[in-house]
Amino acid sequence: MTVDQLRSWITPPMLVSFAIFGTLPFWIREVGLYPYLGVEVLIFCIYALGYNVLLGYGGLPSFGHGAYFGIGAYAFGIAQLNVVSNLWLCLLAGILAAMLFGAVVALFISHRRGIYFALMTIAFGQMAFFIASKWTSVTKGEDGLLNIARLPVDFGFVSYPIQRNGDFYWFVFACFVVTVIVLWRVVHSPFGKVVQAIKQNEARTAFLGYNVVLYKGLVFALSCAVAGFAGALFAMAQGGAFVQVMNLQWSGVVVLMVLIGGGFVSFWGPVLGVVLYFIARDLLGAYTETWQLWFGLLFMLVVMYKPEGLAGIWQGIVHRKQRPRTSATVHLLAMLKAR
Amino acid sequence: MDLVHLLLPHLLNGVALGLLFALIALGFMLIIGVMEVINLAHGSLFALGAYFALSLMTPDGGLRLGIAQVLFDLPVGWRYVIVLLVAPVGVAIVGMGLEMCLRRTYGKDPLYGLLLTFGAALVLEELIRLAWGPTERFIPIPSAITGGIAIGDLIYSKYRFFASGFAILMIGLLWLFLEKTPYGALIKAGAHDSEMVRALGVNLTRLRLFVFGFGTALAAIAGIIMAPIWGIRPHVGVDAVVPAFVIIVLGGVGSFWGAVIAGLLVGMVVGLTGAFATDWSLISMYILLILVVTFRARGLLGKKSILEN
Amino acid sequence: MKIRITRRALLAGTAATAGVTAFAGPWKHNRVWAQKTDKPILIGLTHDASGQFANSGQDEQRGTIMAIEEINAKGGVLGRKLSYIVADTETTPSTATRIAERMINRNEVAFIVGAIQSGVANAIGQVAQKHGVVYFNTNSSSPTEAGKDCQRVKFVWDGTGANFANAAAANAVKTFGKKWLLLTNDYVWGHNTSKATRTTAVQYGADIVDEILVPVGTRDFSPILLKVQQARPDVVAAAVGGDDFKVMRQQTVDMKLDRKPAWLNNQQDWPDVYGLGIDSVFGVFGTTWYHKLDLPGVDDLVKKYQARWPDTRIDVPGNVFYNGYMAMHELAKAIERAGSTNNLKVIRALEGHKMSAKDRMQHGDAYIDPVSHHVQQTIYMAMGNDKPVDKTDYFKILSWASAEEAKDKNEATDCKLQPLDKTPSYEM
Repeated sequence: MTVDQLRSWITPPMLVSFAIFGTLPFWIREVGLYPYLGVEVLIFCIYALGYNVLLGYGGLPSFGHGAYFGIGAYAFGIAQLNVVSNLWLCLLAGILAAMLFGAVVALFISHRRGIYFALMTIAFGQMAFFIASKWTSVTKGEDGLLNIARLPVDFGFVSYPIQRNGDFYWFVFACFVVTVIVLWRVVHSPFGKVVQAIKQNEARTAFLGYNVVLYKGLVFALSCAVAGFAGALFAMAQGGAFVQVMNLQWSGVVVLMVLIGGGFVSFWGPVLGVVLYFIARDLLGAYTETWQLWFGLLFMLVVMYKPEGLAGIWQGIVHRKQRPRTSATVHLLAMLKAR
Repeated sequence: MDLVHLLLPHLLNGVALGLLFALIALGFMLIIGVMEVINLAHGSLFALGAYFALSLMTPDGGLRLGIAQVLFDLPVGWRYVIVLLVAPVGVAIVGMGLEMCLRRTYGKDPLYGLLLTFGAALVLEELIRLAWGPTERFIPIPSAITGGIAIGDLIYSKYRFFASGFAILMIGLLWLFLEKTPYGALIKAGAHDSEMVRALGVNLTRLRLFVFGFGTALAAIAGIIMAPIWGIRPHVGVDAVVPAFVIIVLGGVGSFWGAVIAGLLVGMVVGLTGAFATDWSLISMYILLILVVTFRARGLLGKKSILEN
Repeated sequence: MKIRITRRALLAGTAATAGVTAFAGPWKHNRVWAQKTDKPILIGLTHDASGQFANSGQDEQRGTIMAIEEINAKGGVLGRKLSYIVADTETTPSTATRIAERMINRNEVAFIVGAIQSGVANAIGQVAQKHGVVYFNTNSSSPTEAGKDCQRVKFVWDGTGANFANAAAANAVKTFGKKWLLLTNDYVWGHNTSKATRTTAVQYGADIVDEILVPVGTRDFSPILLKVQQARPDVVAAAVGGDDFKVMRQQTVDMKLDRKPAWLNNQQDWPDVYGLGIDSVFGVFGTTWYHKLDLPGVDDLVKKYQARWPDTRIDVPGNVFYNGYMAMHELAKAIERAGSTNNLKVIRALEGHKMSAKDRMQHGDAYIDPVSHHVQQTIYMAMGNDKPVDKTDYFKILSWASAEEAKDKNEATDCKLQPLDKTPSYEM
C-alpha cells in the first residue's frame, strides 16, 4: 500500500484523536474526572459523527434523531434479554433495528428537503417516543428496560469480559476507531461526494443523472444505523434503556453539538462539539444549572455569526495549507469525465 | 346511547379546539407569507404568551415588584382583560428580537434559518424553565367564564364556549384588518410578491419586523386563551407548532379561509380521537402531520408554495 | 510511512497536556485521611431537583439534610460525622446513571439516598447493585420498585400505588357503591396501580364498568370527563399522577364534577397540593403521614422544620419530607446496629427491622420486609378538610390501614433479590 493510499484511510487528525482517547484511562483521574465520562463522550462521538454525515455533509436537518439512538438501545436490550446473549448479535440487532426504522421513515421524507424534512423528522421522533413510552410490555415504559449486561467480547477462541468501566472503555474505544475509519471512507467515497453535491445543489445533481431520492434515503438510513450502534453501546453503559433519550430535547442536543463543533466544515467537528458539551456540562454544570441555556445561546450565535463552528475557527487559526473544498459537483463532473 | 348522542359532545369539543388551532395557524401563516423561513420557535412564543400572562395575573408568576401589587389588587376580570392586551405586546417584542437575529441568515442556505429557529425554540423553552420552573402552572380565570353549563344531561365546560367565541372574534377582527385596512393590504401584497412591494418603495425590513411581531402576538393570545385547556408548562410550545403547520399545509399557504377550515378539521380529528382512543389523541396530531405532508403537501388546493423551497 | 511531527505540533501537544493536568477542576479528591475513623461518612443525595418532580425533590432534600444535621448534632454515627454531596438527577435516568457512577467512582460515597421518578430510581439502583452501594429509594411509588425491579442493596421507603389501592378500595366499595370506573395514567405506575385497585375492589364486590387511559401530558380532560359522565359510575378510581393529576383536579372541580361520582385518588404528595388552596383538594386519597396527626413528636417535628427551613413556601412538612427524613435517620441507626459501614452488614441490619409506631410517628408499627426490601407501613386515607383549624390544615384524615392490610402481596412473588454472596462488598 502506498503512502497516499494509507493516508486515505488513516489521517494525522485521526491518529491524534486515537492517541488522546486511547490514553484517556491513564490520565482521566488526574484531571479530576472519571472513566465513565470517557465512555459517554466516545459513545456520543459515534452518534454525532454518524449524524454529521446527514447534516454536515448532506445538509439534511433531522431533529428527531434521538429516536434511532433509543431504538438501538432498546433493540440491544430486547435481543439480549429475550433472544441470545451474544455481544455481536445484539449489537447487530441494535444497528439493524435503527436502520430499519430509519429506512421506513426515509420512504416518507427522502423526496423532501428543508422545513418539510425537518418537521417530518420531528413527527416521527415524537411518535417513536410515544410508542416507546406506551408499549410497556416490551420497553417497560418509564421504569426503563433494566438488567442489560455488558456482554463479554467473544471471538470464539478467546473472550474478554468488559463489565468494569475500565475494560468497557477499551471496547467502546475500539468501536470508535472502527466508526471513524468507516465513516471517513464513506464520506470520501463516490457515494459521499454525491451526498455533498446534493447539499450544494440538489436540482443540479439530479440533472447529472443521480437518483437523489435514493441517495438521501441511503444517507439517512446510514446515519440512523450509526445512531443505533451508539444507542446499543449506551444501553450497555447504563445497564438499561430509557425512553428519555428519544425526546425532542435530547434529539436537539446532538444537533447543537455537531453544529457548534463545526460539522459543516470538518469531519472532526462533531467530536469537538461533543467534547465541548461534556466539558460544559461537568464544568459549568457544577456551578450553575443554567449551563444548558448558555449552550443553546452559543448555538444561536454560532449559526448567526460563525456557522463553521469550532472547527472553522481552528482551521482559520492554523492556516492549514488545505486544498480549497472545490464544489462537489465539479468533483462529480471530473469523475464522470474520467470514466 | 346512539352514536350521535355519544359523539356530539366530542365534536363540540373538537370545534372549540379547531377554532383555537386556526388562530395559532393564522399568526404562523402571516409570518410565512412575508418571510423566507419557517419559524420553529412559533410554539415557544405561544407558550411565552401564557407565561407572561401568568406573571401579570398573579404574584405567583414571579413578579414581585411593589408596583405590580396595584395590578394584582384589581378584580380578576379587569386583570384578565389587561393581560390579554399587554402580554401579547411583550411577546411581540421578543418575536421582533428573533426576527432581527434571523436577518443574518437571509440569503443564505435556508438550512441556517431552520437551525436558528430550532435553536431559538430550545433556548426559549430553557429560559421559560429557568424563569418559571418546570412544573404545571395555572392562571386564575374570572369566575364568569368558568364552571359548567348543563346541556341536556351532560355538563360542558363554560370556558370552552368563551374560548370558541373569543377565537371567532379574533378571526373576524383579523380578517377585517387584512381586507379592509391599507396595512393589511400591504401585508397581503408582501406575502404575494415581496419583490414588487420593495420595488414600490415599501420598507420591506420594517414590514417584516412588524409582521413578525404581529404574528407572534397572535400566537401569544392563542396561548393565553388555551392555557386552561392545554396547561402551562415549558414544553407546551412544541405541541402548538405542529397543528399550526398541519393546518397551513392542509389549507394552503396564503389562504385565510383555507386555514380556518383546515383548523376546524384538525380540531375535530383531535376531538374525535379523544372520543374513541383517548390515549392516542395527543399523538394524533403528529400522525396527521405525516399523512398530510405525505399525501397532500400542496394543500387541498394543490398550489406550490414557499414551503417547498 | 513518514509522519512529519513538526516542532510546533510537539510544543502544542505538551502545552495542552500540561494545561489539562494543571487544571484540577472542582472535584479533585484527596485521599489524605489519616485514619478511617476520621473520615466522615459521605452520603450521596440524588434528588430529582429539576424536571417534573422538582417540588417534591426539593422537599425530600430538606428532609434528608435536616436528618443529617440532627444526627451530626448528636455526635454522628460510630463516632464519625455524616457529610453529603447533592446532585440533581434532572428526573432523567441517563443523568442518574452518570451521577451514581460519579458518586461511587470519584466521590467514593458510602451510601446513596433519594429519587422520586421510578426510571431514575431504577437507574441508580442498578449502578448501586453493580458496585454494592446501599441505596435508599425515598419517594418512588411505582409498585415495581419493590417488585420486579428490586435490588439487594435497594430499600424502598414510600408506599406504592398498590398499597394505597389496597388501603382505599375495601372501604370505598362499602361507602360509595359498586359501580367503578378506572382512570389510568398511561404509564407503568398508572397501569400497575389500577391493576391493584381492580383486584382489591373486585374482591370486595365492585363492578368495573370501564377503564379510560389518560395519556401522560394530558391537559384537556373534557373528553375524558364527558366519558365519565356518560358512564355514570358510583366511584371513579383515578391512578393519575404528577401534573396530569393537578390539571385533572382543577378541571373536575371547575365543572363541579367532584362531588358525584366519588373520586378515589391514589397518593397525594404534599408539595403538589400545598399552596393551591384547600378547595383544590378533591376526592379521597392516601398519604403516609400528615403534620396534624395527633401523635407525640409530630408537633416537635413541625416546629423543627419551620425553624430550619423558614424560607421555603411549603410552610409545614409533608409526606415527601417525612419519607426522606425517616429514611436517613433509619440509615444512621442501621449503621450503628451493624457496627460498621460495610454494605453487607448494614443490609443484614436492615432486613426485617421493625420500627415502632412511636418512632415512626404513625399509628401503626412498620417493618422492612426482608423479601422485597419495602418498608411496610401504615397508610392513611384522607380527603379535603371542610373544617380547617389553620391555613395549613388541608387534609381530614378519614381512616388508616395497617402495614399488613396495605401490603402488596405480589411483591413476594415478583421480587427476586440477588443473593448476598453475589453482591460485591463495599465499605467507605
